[in-house]
Amino acid sequence: MYSASFPLSVKLGVCELNMPPAAVTNLGYVPPDGGWGWAVVVGAFISIGFSYAFPKSLTIYFKEIQEYFSVSYSEIAWVSSVMLASMYAGGPVSSILVNRYGSRPVVMVGGLMVSIAMVLASLGTTIIHLYLCVGVIGGFGLAFNLQPALTIIGTYFQVKRPLANGLAMTGSPVVLSTFAPLNQFLFDSFGWRGSFLVLGSIVLNCCVAGALMRPVDKRVRFKPSDGPPRCEGGAAEEAAEVDVSAQSADPAPEDGPAESKSQSYISRYIDFSLFRHNGFLIYLSGSVVMFFGFFAPVVFLAPYAKHQGTDEYSAALLLSIFALVDMFIRPITGFIGNSKWVRPRIQYFFSFAVSYNGVCHLLCPLASGYEGLVVYAVFYGLAFGMLSALLFEALMDLVGAHRFSSAVGLVTIIECGPVLLGPPISGALVDTFRDYKYMYYACGIFMLVPGIFFFIMHYYNYKKVNEELMQSALVISNNKEALQLRINQDDETMKSKYGLDTVD
Amino acid sequence: MTSSWKQQLVQVLLVLVSCGHGDTKTAAPTPTPLPPVTPLKQDAKSAVLTGKNFTERVELSSPVNMTLSCTWKGDQDKPPNITGHWRKDGQEIQDSRVTVMLEDENYKLIQVFSVVSEKDLGNYSCVFGNEARIDFILEVLQMGEKRDKPVVSYIRDFVVMTCKVEENKPIPTTWNWYTSNGTDKEQINTTASKRFKIVSEERETKLKVKDLTLDDAGQYYCGAVYPIGTSVGQVELKVITFMEPLKPFITILIEVVVLVAAILLYERSRAKKDSAEGTQTNAEQNTEPQGDDKGAEGNDSVRQRK
Repeated sequence: MYSASFPLSVKLGVCELNMPPAAVTNLGYVPPDGGWGWAVVVGAFISIGFSYAFPKSLTIYFKEIQEYFSVSYSEIAWVSSVMLASMYAGGPVSSILVNRYGSRPVVMVGGLMVSIAMVLASLGTTIIHLYLCVGVIGGFGLAFNLQPALTIIGTYFQVKRPLANGLAMTGSPVVLSTFAPLNQFLFDSFGWRGSFLVLGSIVLNCCVAGALMRPVDKRVRFKPSDGPPRCEGGAAEEAAEVDVSAQSADPAPEDGPAESKSQSYISRYIDFSLFRHNGFLIYLSGSVVMFFGFFAPVVFLAPYAKHQGTDEYSAALLLSIFALVDMFIRPITGFIGNSKWVRPRIQYFFSFAVSYNGVCHLLCPLASGYEGLVVYAVFYGLAFGMLSALLFEALMDLVGAHRFSSAVGLVTIIECGPVLLGPPISGALVDTFRDYKYMYYACGIFMLVPGIFFFIMHYYNYKKVNEELMQSALVISNNKEALQLRINQDDETMKSKYGLDTVD
Repeated sequence: MTSSWKQQLVQVLLVLVSCGHGDTKTAAPTPTPLPPVTPLKQDAKSAVLTGKNFTERVELSSPVNMTLSCTWKGDQDKPPNITGHWRKDGQEIQDSRVTVMLEDENYKLIQVFSVVSEKDLGNYSCVFGNEARIDFILEVLQMGEKRDKPVVSYIRDFVVMTCKVEENKPIPTTWNWYTSNGTDKEQINTTASKRFKIVSEERETKLKVKDLTLDDAGQYYCGAVYPIGTSVGQVELKVITFMEPLKPFITILIEVVVLVAAILLYERSRAKKDSAEGTQTNAEQNTEPQGDDKGAEGNDSVRQRK
């Protein structure tokens, strides 16, 4: 059923709950929302940064490797694609492992994998060697970094989760910006082989990130005194009961004895019941379309600028502006997402971010000259950063922290297709029409349509969840009243029967 | 009387013979050049000088008849005529001094130069009076994509060095590679040394050097041979051992190990301190501290209830 971590206004007798008290979750414990959690954010920052920035930053070596192995550019570009594909395809595997062993071991193993992959690649003798090492093993290693990092934030934060997510996702542009000059320096000093070797050691810092991801202390149970000051402790406990009974009111039939053994074994590690979760389905269907247009504009920003006549250095400057704006807007978005006006409606904020991306791309062809492109880069940076910061927070908000691991695994493997197909399709559009504007229109549509779709669907979804919670709350209060009546009745009968004074 | 008649006959015959040889009116100091096999292309370059000095680079690939024209706006005082001459590589060209008239406020010098071989390339200057000068630097076309950073490779590994000519430039006749021998350039002979292999396509050439040693490091030159001359590009090769990148690798490895150990030890000591403080805070303790597995199972049951 729906995750009751939606902070909604529920009238329960005397009390009105606005911000979600920590108990209105099905975590079963109080997330620290701070303390060691910030160290975990640092760890997640590093892991997420490496996962996203590493494949992109390797492109600097491609020219030399291409000459060394005497292959064409598209054959070399496959290394990046295989790495990205493995990273997304490894999602479910990562989810299973995180569900079983927790985040820390998986991240450390992931870091080791990428490191070994790069060291082996530095000794490589054929291009196939590179595909296997850097592409497959490296990609899987990065997958083992990305999922657990996202998951563990959900276990450590509840109230401040959007902020934590925004901060962690900032890792991507920051690491990318540091890697760009670093890779250039390594390449000039050591050539591609030595650089791969040194990168293998640098990526071991993911193990440090993993060490920081201490499993959260689940002994800390719900304490009534921690509830919001306006409510009485008892009413807050009732909220937990609302939650529990809402779940029990609708028992899931999928784990019945009729199911085959293997299916129940897998479903212990990956929650396929997510496909019945409306919120998850909305998110999935929207993001599949959205990812077709997500990465392509970044890839083509510099070539578009050069096509307009700017020189290579200014085109590279555009990307730097984009990355800089991206870097700053992510924590800000997290902060906004955390504010009390936005948090209850964070899905609308997410839908807005998606639509804004679409509008940005649709307006890009109107940008004229270098100044226009700079303006576009700034706005696109804002849009991209906003969307990235909210991407996983929205999913966490929909499915809840403990199902998030399985959810993100399923989402990434299904997103694998659009992510890989997006840039080549855009490239084909550019080649066919010999004009970049059709590609931007296409990307704009790819993002605007899901954005509007999200707005509409979440409006209905919010209404439905509201209604359900109201109903469950009514049931509880009815039960409570009924129980109270019965107690009173029993008192009366007792009194009348035995003529005794009952102690109230 | 017969001898004078004979003399006259001989003279007439001589005149007839000399007339038959054609119209050699002007006494040219140089011998008549052989007619060229292919007609020389015509090309023209012009420049306008407003200050004292101006330089224009002209890239050539095949022989041309180059017409160079210079226009000068003149000084503050504009005499009606001045002396102008042409120079090649700083040396005045013989018989190039002419008097230039002032036309439409401008002085103009035009000269046609036959540029056939590499020695005809150089710095052609037109000089007005004594100071005002326009330089036309005629050179073989330069290769694009100059690589200013060295190519790095490893001992016993191989390296591929590339030289390319841009798309819109003419294709070289052939490619050569040279290695630097002291101050000289020595052409690389692929049959003599098996370690070197040259693969040349139209616009691109690759030099593959196998089994590198430290001595192989240095400058390498690729030459694109055109009818007019050879265009030279430069590539620097650096050969290092595998120890070089290994040093930062090991440094960072040590740093990672130290950090991980520090974090885990800190956590271990904190956990000991917590458990030493007692279990009074854990009223409903039914899970172990490292309860990830249990937590997962707990979540399982919650999920199933849904």
